[in-house]
Amino acid sequence: MVSPNRGSPGLLYTYFTRPSKVQPSVDVRQLANKRKSNPFMKRSVLLGTAWLLLLGIGFACHRNTQEGPERIAVVVSTLNNPWFVVLAETAAAEARALGYETTIFDSQNNTALETDHFENAISSGYRAILFNPTDAEGSVSNVVKAANAGLGVFCMDREVNSDRAASQILSDNYSGCVSLGKYFVEKMDKKGNYVELLGLVGDNNTWNRSSGFHSVVDHYPDLKMVAQQSADFDRNKAMEVMESILQVHPDVDAVFCGNDAMAMGAFQALKAAGLAETVHVFGFDGAADVIEAVEQGNIAATAMQFPKVMAETAAQLADQFIRGETNFIPKLPVDVELVHAGNVHHYAAYGKSEE
Amino acid sequence: MTALKIPTHQLSRFQSLIALFILCLVLSILSDRFLTTANAWNVMRQVSVNICLSVGMTLVILTAGIDLSVGSILALCGAVTASLLKNGLAFESLNLFVGFAPLGAVMVGLALGVGLGWFNGWTITRFSVPPFVATLAMLTIARGLTMLWTGGFPINGLGEQFAFLGTGWFLGIPMPVWITAVIVAWAVLLTNKTRFGRYVYAIGGNERAARLSGIAINKVKMSVYALAGGLAAVGGILVTSRLDSAQPNAGISYELDAIAAVVIGGTSLSGGKGSILGAVLGGVIIGVLNNGLVLLNVSPFWQQVVKGLVILLAVMIDKANTRK
Repeated sequence: MVSPNRGSPGLLYTYFTRPSKVQPSVDVRQLANKRKSNPFMKRSVLLGTAWLLLLGIGFACHRNTQEGPERIAVVVSTLNNPWFVVLAETAAAEARALGYETTIFDSQNNTALETDHFENAISSGYRAILFNPTDAEGSVSNVVKAANAGLGVFCMDREVNSDRAASQILSDNYSGCVSLGKYFVEKMDKKGNYVELLGLVGDNNTWNRSSGFHSVVDHYPDLKMVAQQSADFDRNKAMEVMESILQVHPDVDAVFCGNDAMAMGAFQALKAAGLAETVHVFGFDGAADVIEAVEQGNIAATAMQFPKVMAETAAQLADQFIRGETNFIPKLPVDVELVHAGNVHHYAAYGKSEE
Repeated sequence: MTALKIPTHQLSRFQSLIALFILCLVLSILSDRFLTTANAWNVMRQVSVNICLSVGMTLVILTAGIDLSVGSILALCGAVTASLLKNGLAFESLNLFVGFAPLGAVMVGLALGVGLGWFNGWTITRFSVPPFVATLAMLTIARGLTMLWTGGFPINGLGEQFAFLGTGWFLGIPMPVWITAVIVAWAVLLTNKTRFGRYVYAIGGNERAARLSGIAINKVKMSVYALAGGLAAVGGILVTSRLDSAQPNAGISYELDAIAAVVIGGTSLSGGKGSILGAVLGGVIIGVLNNGLVLLNVSPFWQQVVKGLVILLAVMIDKANTRK
């Protein structure tokens, strides 16, 4: 059972560092001659496959640079959250419907990766970028670089602190949470204990939402925040944090959550503790399961953002830009609307219901 | 060598117990809600997933390897189990539809976890890819596959039967705690009482010596990674069942929590030294710390700092003791 496979790393090394003039087909032919030597054959088959795979990827990339329709890039801060998936996919679909070739780039919440995406988009001849920035300040240099290269940058949802973006279609998180806060005060009858679940503490949306909410609620001294914790916009974390908080404050009257995933997690913890009937849960986003939960009365309210509207608008503006239009409104706010039991029938996941 | 080894890891097990005891003592003084039965079950339920991952991670680390892919494998297996349960599997070209009962879906999820873990082990042993690199690659591969499988959306509403695994109670004990306890008991027997367990320690202690003494190193290593993958799948199924929802971004950075639990439990990252029970204690310490910091309403900024300091402290004490 002592396997003499000491040769393999060395072989791998030479194969991958050999000058590129060596063709993969040569390896395959060599392999045909050496069928008898079994371990070598296996190795060669595997390495041959690896080479072919690389070659395939090369061809696939090559095909992309050939002439064709004009191209639009969609650069999105993250695809790790259904809300942004809707934003990115709607933008790409709308651009495609307008006759463009589109590619979605995922920045994975990393501004450095976003810079790479911008450089790639610029160098491979994209005409416009539908852009959901990772950071209002950090993304400025990317926007400037693209604008200097003649690309039209259209921001969706999140703002960039630069006037070089052709136009910014923005969702107003702050004022959305102001109206949510007003509804909260009304629903709570101006008194009671509440818990706040924050999103990722390094994310500016977390704080836009939190400060919008507190700008209203903090004026009512009988509304007491008994705990403020982060649950990273994550459903599981929210459930666990809420379970722990309920140990200290079983008498809590409401939970305000920075997004809908956390609202669902908090609701689950309340349900397990038998408190779902008495505690009001508030979310933000307008995700599918929360709209359903608002209908059923499990969640008191959420704030609907309109990712589809923002994405479609951005794609249409980019189309006008490529056709030669240069005059755009620099900032186009898209309202965030309050969804509660009284008006939930007008809404569906991530937008108004189709009727 | 062996004569020295046994007392040291018994000592380190003892250390984590003391650390846990001190932590509990401090927390119960600071918060009157800490030492209640309800809160104890809370903590146990919350740590069960991390302990599942830590058991697999301990086996891997004992062979002087590392597995960074467990968080992503957890997400993928959870998502696959959930979608099979909810939507079944349709083969349009064959005009065939296969529906899944909870048990069937769970089985497929587990098999997938074992398969992905085995693939890790295969690349590590067959191509001598360093474990760090091989499992780092799997981390992104499995996360990408999760996104492909779910399209980036959560899969909700999986039914009462499946939810029982994560939220049910049996004989007065939550189901996740039962499942984890069975896994831990099995892993303790595996490492202490079986030949396989001895091989795992031997490989981590001195791989060359183990090879020369005739141990089928590659086989043992592949099994260890396959087990880690399977246990990640168990974790994925538990998380999915508890939430009644498979989240595409579940399990991000869970591998770090598992590694932290293993290290706090006194297992050496260079292999050959450590124990399953150590990792369990490490997991409970992290869980108690998470719970306690929330009970005390400590600012989320400080929580991260405190958690890091505790890990550092635990390993510093461990090193100081082994040097003696």
